[in-house]
Amino acid sequence: MDVVARLLGALGRKGAVWAEELGQMGFLVQRTLKFFPRIRPEPTAVQMIRFGIRAIPIVSIVNLFVGMILAVSMSEMLIQLNAVSHTAQIVAIAVTRDLGPLMTGLVMSGFAGAAIAAEIATMNVNEEILALEAGALSPIRFLVLPRLIGVMAMMMCLTLIADVMGMFGGYLVGVTMLGIPPLNYIEINNASVKWSDIPHGLIKAAAFGMIITVIACRQGLKATGGALGVGRATTNSVVYSIVVIIAVDLVFAILFYWTLSS
Amino acid sequence: MSEARHTVVMKAVADPSAQPVIEINDLVKTFEGRKVLDGISLKVRRGETLVIMGASGCGKSTLLRCLIGAHRAEEGSIKLFGKDIAALPNKELDAVRRRFGILFQSGALFSSMTVGENVALPLKEHTDLSAEMIDLMVKVKLELVGLREAEHQLPAQISGGMAKRAGLARAIALDPELLFYDEPTSGLDPIMTGIIDGLIVDLSRTMNVTSVVVTHDLKSAFRVADRMVVLNNGRIVAEGMPHEIKTHQDPFVKKFIQGPVEAKTAVFPKATVEKGTAAVARNSMNFGLPDE
Repeated sequence: MDVVARLLGALGRKGAVWAEELGQMGFLVQRTLKFFPRIRPEPTAVQMIRFGIRAIPIVSIVNLFVGMILAVSMSEMLIQLNAVSHTAQIVAIAVTRDLGPLMTGLVMSGFAGAAIAAEIATMNVNEEILALEAGALSPIRFLVLPRLIGVMAMMMCLTLIADVMGMFGGYLVGVTMLGIPPLNYIEINNASVKWSDIPHGLIKAAAFGMIITVIACRQGLKATGGALGVGRATTNSVVYSIVVIIAVDLVFAILFYWTLSS
Repeated sequence: MSEARHTVVMKAVADPSAQPVIEINDLVKTFEGRKVLDGISLKVRRGETLVIMGASGCGKSTLLRCLIGAHRAEEGSIKLFGKDIAALPNKELDAVRRRFGILFQSGALFSSMTVGENVALPLKEHTDLSAEMIDLMVKVKLELVGLREAEHQLPAQISGGMAKRAGLARAIALDPELLFYDEPTSGLDPIMTGIIDGLIVDLSRTMNVTSVVVTHDLKSAFRVADRMVVLNNGRIVAEGMPHEIKTHQDPFVKKFIQGPVEAKTAVFPKATVEKGTAAVARNSMNFGLPDE
């Protein structure tokens, strides 16, 4: 009985910490969006290049492989069912609905989230954040807003690239290894992609971009304790982002494909 | 300390109608149940340079952070330019913050910007000056701290002393009425320490800036101070003119100013000398010498 009580107590405390953290992140988003009319275009463009343009190769490669893996892993079952041409359909639906935004989100957790958390945490322990505040300059406007808008916008562009690369991965396997005629593959692929899935994917991408940036900025802004604190902020940012992105993806899946479509 | 400088300060202190630039009343700040500041009361008059001294961990940096509005105290009040900063909404607190500058221990330059851009940032954000005028102002401020040549360098490319001078140039960019210095000479060689001390005195003289210097560097403190405060365990244990602090009778102040007697003879307590790090230290000191 005592053990159960202690366990419940520990869970309750942890829950309270998480609830507070969630509240703090909500507050950070609200404060950030308040500064939107005073956005600084140049730093925002810099963040778009840093976390968007430079992420194109890694996002493309990862999603190309994801499309290829999906086609290979489905092929055995589809050959048995004599429906190998459906590879194009499966890959197209899976990539545009889920895997494109999800894999891009996971890649960006490491690519952008870790960089943002480490950068802001380092600025924090070096008193640069304090220097901004003491100089009547908001760290939210200067640091969080350009990163939030930059990452959210680029996540949407990267997701479109990811969708194309994922389908191309499926095409490569389907045509070269499974013997599906190229034109046939493209025809089935195009017929399978619902245009409504694209905006759904983009909404998800923007949401994942927000999750990554807000978690990374929050971890960076509350970092303390020198190099150790910077390391902790970076690790937490990546781990929390991955978990939250996957959980939110499930919520979106239920919302888009069960609730809204019914 | 020049006579002219003392005259300015004494005039300000002697005038009871003059509004203090800083007024602290019964300030209490706790961290995890421990009182870091315990009933601090203090006034800083316009134009004077107040040095806050004390051993590491005595609460002087916390006091500085409370003064700039980075920490909120549990009890007491801080008035800057007659305004209670704890009661101010963010916009008005920012208006107060624009009237002071701060030099951080590390310089705290924004690492992604050049030295010149660091100095230009407050001017760009808080004034309507044209780009040409801002450029000119940056050059003037950098010239003032002797860093004209480092304008286009990144903080990572300059030395610690240069970073502090660049931080000072940024702190004075808006011609503040009040300047805070957090350990301005820590980690610097004696020559650079002299340069920074000279800058603090010069800025105070030429711009009639009120200065608050937090330091544990005694030489530097006595060079720049008009008045001094000594903190111990979050309390003010001594306050007065530099010559009064030098001859203060409080045991901690005496120890702080003159150095502990034990340190002069470098003796480890007998009880601890045989174990732990003290033994390691003794062994390394005796390295190569025959046992007694």
